[in-house]
Amino acid sequence: MRLVKAILLRLLFGAFSLFFISFVTFVAGEFAPGDPATIIGGEKASLETVRLIRHNLGLDQPWPSRYVRYVDHAVHGDFGVSYYGIHEPVRDIIARTLPMTVKLATLAMLLAASFGIFFGALAAVYQRRFLDKSILTISTLGVTTPNFVLGPILVYVFCQRLDQLPNSWSTTLVAPEIVYFILPVAILSARPAALITRLTRASMIDTLDQEFIRTAVAKGVPRGRLLFRHALRNAILPVITTIGTSFGFLLTGSFVIERYFLMPGLGSAVIEGIQQINMPVVQAGVLVTGAMFIFLNLVVDILLPILDPRIRESQI
Amino acid sequence: MRRRLAFTLRGKDPLYAFGVAFLTLLLVFATFGPIIRNAMVRPAKEANFYSVYDPVSRPHEAVGGKYVLGTDEQGRDVVSRLAAGARISLTVGFLVEVIALTVGVTVGVLGVFAPRWLSMILMRFTDGMFAFPDILLAVLIIGTMPPGKLDRFPLGKLLPVIIALSITSWPSIARLVKGQVATLKDREFVVGAKASGASTFYLVTRHILPQLTGILLAVSMIDIAGTILAESTLSFLGIGVQAPEPSWGSMINSAREGMGSYPEALIWPCLILSLTVIALNFVGDGLRAAFDPKSK
Repeated sequence: MRLVKAILLRLLFGAFSLFFISFVTFVAGEFAPGDPATIIGGEKASLETVRLIRHNLGLDQPWPSRYVRYVDHAVHGDFGVSYYGIHEPVRDIIARTLPMTVKLATLAMLLAASFGIFFGALAAVYQRRFLDKSILTISTLGVTTPNFVLGPILVYVFCQRLDQLPNSWSTTLVAPEIVYFILPVAILSARPAALITRLTRASMIDTLDQEFIRTAVAKGVPRGRLLFRHALRNAILPVITTIGTSFGFLLTGSFVIERYFLMPGLGSAVIEGIQQINMPVVQAGVLVTGAMFIFLNLVVDILLPILDPRIRESQI
Repeated sequence: MRRRLAFTLRGKDPLYAFGVAFLTLLLVFATFGPIIRNAMVRPAKEANFYSVYDPVSRPHEAVGGKYVLGTDEQGRDVVSRLAAGARISLTVGFLVEVIALTVGVTVGVLGVFAPRWLSMILMRFTDGMFAFPDILLAVLIIGTMPPGKLDRFPLGKLLPVIIALSITSWPSIARLVKGQVATLKDREFVVGAKASGASTFYLVTRHILPQLTGILLAVSMIDIAGTILAESTLSFLGIGVQAPEPSWGSMINSAREGMGSYPEALIWPCLILSLTVIALNFVGDGLRAAFDPKSK
């Protein structure tokens, strides 16, 4: 019963977040420069045509009904049309660019999680020894070094000095696609990997300190089983929460990476949208990314009390 | 508390000492660097010359020559541009933090003391802000302010970035302040003051907020580091501080474009940005340790 209540509360909060994010993107659209009807109509459109377009877009309505219309369209996957070029539907732009961003972020997340959990646990087991201290130092560097500083360094070493990896995306792929993902994913995952390492280490040290571990040691549980089955499974729970929040940073972090490696992802589309003052693309990009972020955190929030009965007890 | 801080300042914490020393130097460099440097490299004849924007020599002069760190792809003096970039980063960082602290503390205090309907609205609004990844919201806000629109205001070229980053950085402060105020409110010295007839305003300004100065100062340092990083990210993406203003982020971006032939141009802006961020984090951690002996 408690579990159901906790999940319902999370769903409610998720719904509220969605409302908030849609409202903010709507307001941003209202404040955006330029009148959509004039831009879509083109330079040669007559006043009558512009008025017709305005009516068709619902722009002559008061704002609450425009907001309802905006949400209604967004829910049905209609984000309007791009202001430039052939007035391509924004839905198609998103569909074309989103997979690359999601792929980048997912690969980076997988890399960061496996890397972070492994080295974090390792550091905790060898606490205060040389290995632990080196892992801590490297992860501190990883947390403080921004993507676009790490990027040039790695590109310089692997593309220019060693000449082993491509330094940007190209439409005519000469190598398997994954090769073009190696550097971007590595750079993107550096920060979350460092964060997860530190968190796993702290959480693992806490867990190893607890009484049930001492009992297990006294019982003679083999070391490997002790660390993986008893300690890590308990220590990993706060890490799962971080994976949820990190994913949001990965999605936005991939904006920088895509730009850097000239990859045609959602980030590139949104930045281009800002530079061209093409608000529908920006709105839709932010809305879709934000919704994914909310959804992912919702999944993590619901998953946690299912995985860990202790959290179920402590909540409400 | 004051004694403890002085104790730390005397060099018991080398990282804190390094951070303070570096930031002091950076502040001096940002304040006087552009002027002094301009006087040093200006050709004698030209009166309206400003070395931050005008080329002093051929592009890509080598490091260690006449211009110390050489010249960039347009032949502009790298030292001048780094100093002007420091000005931009520190100005943006400082102003954003002042705004974020003002709004964050007000909302946090109101979240505890305001009538229930108002605190509900404020805190739900704060929670909603957390649903946005920071850069995403900043990108959206900047999208509503095209370059050139705000140029007639003071700091015009920096204004879109300052507005966007101020809006994204107050919620975390509001949440922190609310939590702290909610616990302080029930402590004996506050309850005692209330019993002797102090007004809520007096309680907050004289008893509660002074308790928070330490932690807020520490958090501010780390937040400023985040803001400087965010400003550089936006400028790197080409939607932050616009050319010809020399933000470190846009310097990194233009150095990246010429990386094939002049990789060394990347070193200086990357180095100064990383050191600034790290120094601010060291100072923040040092302050936190000094003000809150229980923290690790």
